[in-house]
Amino acid sequence: MLMGGRIRLWMIAASAVAMVALGAVSWLSYRSTQELIAVNQRLDHAHKLIEDLTALHVLVDDAESSCRGYAFSGKTDYLRPYEDALAQLDVTMQVLRHDLAPDRTRSRQLQELEPLMQARLDVMKELVQARTDGGFDAAVRILQSDRGKRFSDEIRQRIAVVQNEERNDLLDRERESRERARSTIFAVGLTCVLGIGLLLLASVVIYRLNRRSESDHLALQDAEQIQRTILNSAASSMISVDSGGTVLTLNATGEKWLQYNGAELIGSNITKVHDCSELQSRGEQLTRAMGFPVAGDHRALITKASYGVGDQFECSYVRKDGTRFPVLLLISALRGESGNATGYLMVATDLSERQAIERMKDEFVSVVSHELRTPLTSIKGAAGLLVSGVTGALPPKAGEMAQIALANADRLGRLVDDILDLQRIESGRITLDKRMCDIADLMKESLDSVNLVAEHEGITIAMSYSHASIRADRERLVQALVNLLGNAVKFSPRGGQIEFAAERKGSSVVFRVKDEGRGIPKDKLETIFERFEQVDASDAREKGGTGLGLAICRSIVQQHGGHVWAESEVGRGSTFLVQLPLAEADATGTN
Amino acid sequence: MPKTILVIDDDRDIREVAKTSLELVGGFAVMLADSGKHGVDLARQTKPDAVILDLMMPDLDGQQTLAQLKLLPETASIPVIMLTAKVRANRQELVSKGATGVIVKPFDPMQLPNQVREMLGWSVAGKDLGRSGSAKK
Repeated sequence: MLMGGRIRLWMIAASAVAMVALGAVSWLSYRSTQELIAVNQRLDHAHKLIEDLTALHVLVDDAESSCRGYAFSGKTDYLRPYEDALAQLDVTMQVLRHDLAPDRTRSRQLQELEPLMQARLDVMKELVQARTDGGFDAAVRILQSDRGKRFSDEIRQRIAVVQNEERNDLLDRERESRERARSTIFAVGLTCVLGIGLLLLASVVIYRLNRRSESDHLALQDAEQIQRTILNSAASSMISVDSGGTVLTLNATGEKWLQYNGAELIGSNITKVHDCSELQSRGEQLTRAMGFPVAGDHRALITKASYGVGDQFECSYVRKDGTRFPVLLLISALRGESGNATGYLMVATDLSERQAIERMKDEFVSVVSHELRTPLTSIKGAAGLLVSGVTGALPPKAGEMAQIALANADRLGRLVDDILDLQRIESGRITLDKRMCDIADLMKESLDSVNLVAEHEGITIAMSYSHASIRADRERLVQALVNLLGNAVKFSPRGGQIEFAAERKGSSVVFRVKDEGRGIPKDKLETIFERFEQVDASDAREKGGTGLGLAICRSIVQQHGGHVWAESEVGRGSTFLVQLPLAEADATGTN
Repeated sequence: MPKTILVIDDDRDIREVAKTSLELVGGFAVMLADSGKHGVDLARQTKPDAVILDLMMPDLDGQQTLAQLKLLPETASIPVIMLTAKVRANRQELVSKGATGVIVKPFDPMQLPNQVREMLGWSVAGKDLGRSGSAKK
């Protein structure tokens, strides 16, 4: 996109430069041609002027020799050229006057020439008149006066001056004309070369762009094909809608699951594949949560996502035939370059199978639970009755054996409970009932559960806390804390001290259970939170633990958005820490 | 006259443990039935003071047996305590169907009689074992 824009800009700039260059060269060549034409006109003009002047010169000469011929011979035949010359002279002078009118210098020169011409013609006339009237001698006298010759010389000289000037001018103009012609040829040539060059360049660029856009187009087609394949082979239904909830696209999985072909659903509202009552109740739920009315239509689906929050929830999809199936719906906003939501993507995962598996698992857990508990009940009951002595006194060794049976039946019972508990917590089958809890209350309740055993062992538990609230499932969180406290009691020496504290740290609260037990080696600090991982393999037997307590504790804490860890040094006791986020009101300090 | 309790459970061992506990620790008179059908018959004939009824049994299960007991005029007033291996048995549902209480397996044989007494509102025996028994939550 960016690349295309840059190329387009480049093309526009190049075209502009080419146009300007072509325009300039065209103008230059036009000017050159115009000037060449003007120069040529002036050349023609000069040539004509020289010719006219020569003709004038010839006419005067003709008239003169004609008159002279008549004067010597007295034959009127000689006068014909003179009369012809007189007749032509007027026309020639008129032409010259007209031609030289624009040129002031030449006009003036002509004006100066004209009286001389007239004077010369007058002398000729006088000569002819003298010959006719006074005969040969009278004519000779006039000839001998040299008046005519003086005028003739003067006229010749002036014509020669003008002719010379014109000739020189002509030479200059011819040179100029040649130069103009050369520069015109150059300009035209340059225009041609430039034009051809630009054409070539344009062709190359267009060819390249074409090839590139072709390959881009192919690459785009490939990418689209790949994306379509990915979309269609995804194991989720993907439906995109516009902000009005109208379906824009639908992938193959969506078509298959919903039994619509794309065309049937595209253009329809997304509510077509939803359960109206579900949308209604979700709209009400969102209205409560967001504090403004959210309608129970497509807005119940997109409102949360429109605020940039990835919205994920379970709901039903309704097939074309009206049957429904459970899905996990993830809705996210599709944002344009401006950042505004232009539409929404709804990715649905079919939960039918998962729910079926969960039902099977529940059933299995229930059966196992029953099948294990039934014999356990008998063992525990029988051993308990034996140990209690109600069935009669046992020999000491037998009593000891019955005691072992009872203790292990108890342990097995706890193990079954813990396994089922962990399975339920980790599978998310238990939905946490999170409410505002005061941490002091949580701690007191936890302490109550272990205090009796601790007192029995002479262990004191010192409790300290700062007031704060967290959002927690009270029963579960107490279970986690009791787990930690119970461990501390188990591993504390008789008469030992346990510190049970909670303090605020930023936007969270950290619970601390510190004992004076034997401590945990560094390499076990992490692993003790795994299932059936204990510091010492004999702990399960000696301390009566199941090896699942810390795993359960970690699961519960994680489900509350917190984390649990241990700090310890061998021989110097252990500290277990639980960090949990404070309730929002507390975290912002408004308490 | 000791109070009579009818224990209905398909597991022989549990029946035996319960009987021993209720008789020897609790001082009750105990009758046993190995199926729902047998239990209903026995209850009609002997009219015990209470019934302890296992929830999961083949054929006529605990809930169906409870329903029959509550339906029959001669047994409808006998209090029934359900015995179940389900940790999270729906106590509320069972109570709404007529059960007086729910005891979760595995039970402590030394505590069982007191648990039963507490649920039925019978005075706790003089020879109490010290700790007060209550239904496990």
